[in-house]
Amino acid sequence: MSRLELPAIDATRAGLVLFVASIAFLYSPIFIRPPSGTFVFLELAVLFLLYALILIGLNLQFGHTGLVNFGPVAFFAVGGYAAAILTANDPYRAVGLGFAWPVGLVAGVLAAVALGVLLGFSTLKLRDDFLAIVTLAVAEIIHGLTITFRDITGGSIGLQNVPRPIADMTGGGGGAELFATIVVLGSVCLLAYGVFHRLSASPYGRVLRAIRADEQVTETLGKRVFRYKLVVFIYGAAIGGLAGALLVFYNGAASASFFTIDVTVIVWIGMLIGGAGSDRGVLGGLALIMGFQLLTRFFNDLLPFVTQDQFASIRLVLVGLLLMLVVKYRPEGIWGTAEELEVES
Amino acid sequence: MTLLAVDSLHRSFGSLVAVDDVSFEIEPGEVVGMIGPNGAGKTTTFNCVSGVLDSDAGTVTFDGEDVTNVPAYELARNGLVRTFQQTRELSTMTVEANVLLPTPAHPGERAWHAITRSEASQQREREAREQAMELLDVFDIRSKADEYAGTLSGGQRKLLELARALMLDPTMLMLDEPFAGVNPTLTTELVAHLESLNDDGLTLLIIEHELETLTDLVDRLIVLTDGRVLASGTPAEVTSNEEVIDAYLGN
Ligand SMILES: Nc1ncnc2c1ncn2[C@@H]1O[C@H](COP(=O)(O)OP(=O)(O)OP(=O)(O)O)[C@@H](O)[C@H]1O
Ligand SMILES: [Mg+2]
Repeated sequence: MSRLELPAIDATRAGLVLFVASIAFLYSPIFIRPPSGTFVFLELAVLFLLYALILIGLNLQFGHTGLVNFGPVAFFAVGGYAAAILTANDPYRAVGLGFAWPVGLVAGVLAAVALGVLLGFSTLKLRDDFLAIVTLAVAEIIHGLTITFRDITGGSIGLQNVPRPIADMTGGGGGAELFATIVVLGSVCLLAYGVFHRLSASPYGRVLRAIRADEQVTETLGKRVFRYKLVVFIYGAAIGGLAGALLVFYNGAASASFFTIDVTVIVWIGMLIGGAGSDRGVLGGLALIMGFQLLTRFFNDLLPFVTQDQFASIRLVLVGLLLMLVVKYRPEGIWGTAEELEVES
Repeated sequence: MTLLAVDSLHRSFGSLVAVDDVSFEIEPGEVVGMIGPNGAGKTTTFNCVSGVLDSDAGTVTFDGEDVTNVPAYELARNGLVRTFQQTRELSTMTVEANVLLPTPAHPGERAWHAITRSEASQQREREAREQAMELLDVFDIRSKADEYAGTLSGGQRKLLELARALMLDPTMLMLDEPFAGVNPTLTTELVAHLESLNDDGLTLLIIEHELETLTDLVDRLIVLTDGRVLASGTPAEVTSNEEVIDAYLGN
């Protein structure tokens, strides 16, 4: 169980090919309309793919380099709002500049990168735990700002009329859009996984793991530790921003409720359950935790006397229990390597 | 030309003056020992010279260049490599990865080469692996190449650190108590390794507590007490120096 065995195809190449194919699929008149009973799964799959993007960045930051980023949702939110504000047409009580969606996509990534540069430069030279505190705080501040500055962000009502490029390019309505979204996001995700895995599996990744193990030794062996930490932090920020932009282009809206601390919690738990530092394992962990949430949702339907709110808290307790079990009996995570994470199992 | 020149180095921690006006010079090809009681400032001197700590005042010149407070990675790349008093193997990485890590000028450590798996990167990795295996052979830990460094014995860790430092192809090695906690057999072995490295032109500066190990190995000794250079000279000169006997050898 120490390794999640998948066929030995190169994810980067496969991702590229699939991405091109998915764009061709979008431009073609063909569409696939899945049965409506599957929508609940497909919607969750979209969310999984977006969270997976954030997690791919987080795993490079924490799993490989040891950077404790407790605010991945901050980059997700900044990417999402930047994309939404730049592209929305006539949003209800918010700012919408009406640019074409590619402008918003690029802006979303750049805005998240800018935040990454700012936080990276100001904290990565300080003691390790500063990053954890600062990222956690910044994520909460950003969440607060999106609610307070409602003339710009639409507050808790959100920012409507954001373009939905994938839906617009897909004929056939509802389910077909969902299917096309999954095809496109799936290929983007595979490509991102492939690229980040190439980074982590190369001499580059060796430097990152050395930094995680002992920064000072790594520095005295000739590596520019701060540069690596900064760049890795920015890569994570960029992919988080990309995920945020993709989310608003899928939803056609941005709202503070998409960008809560729950996102941070889910990707962190997915990473720890799957095994930090295992590129495939963390995605397996995310799938497990999101599958678990879906499962409990069905249970909720079976128990009509429990309200949704009550059930949400029960679910949180169950997720906490699951994490405790893993930490106790398999601290390296299901697919992680104990020796690499310095835990006794 | 002098290889390493340390001039009037100062470093304090709050009110404690750990290094107080330390000056010394090391010529190419020399083996120099640095001795002194606990807390004399030996490690702090190393830290300031190697860029791990910033000094408060004084200059460090290496290979004709002023390298005072130059970042540690730059010194390592320029041929001045140090080890730490406590063994600092990267226990979460394999022995091989530990030795491969310092490989200088590795294109694969740049993102673009890593992502494209460039030929230059793969070529460099092959060369580096060959060199790493040779070093592991020399230090007799090749059979451990694929094990996590955390599984090595204390002595093997010392060997690994030395092998790792040599991957940088240094002009000068600064070793902080390389024989501490090493059994006598392995100490003899380590000394032999160091002597043969010195024969090949490597300059050595070695901190040590046990004077016996050093007297045979070194050309010269520098004695530190209370952050100051108390004496300096050949082992015979130093061990007969009254002040040194009083301050250090006497007890
Ligand atoms: N980071 C630090 N912060 C505060 N004081 C320090 C620090 N590093 C060293 N010191 C103090 O500076 C003095 C010199 O310490 P140093 O480690 O250089 O001595 P040393 O000669 O290497 O001793 P040893 O033989 O025990 O290794 C000691 O009094 C030590 O407590
Ligand atoms: Mg010391």
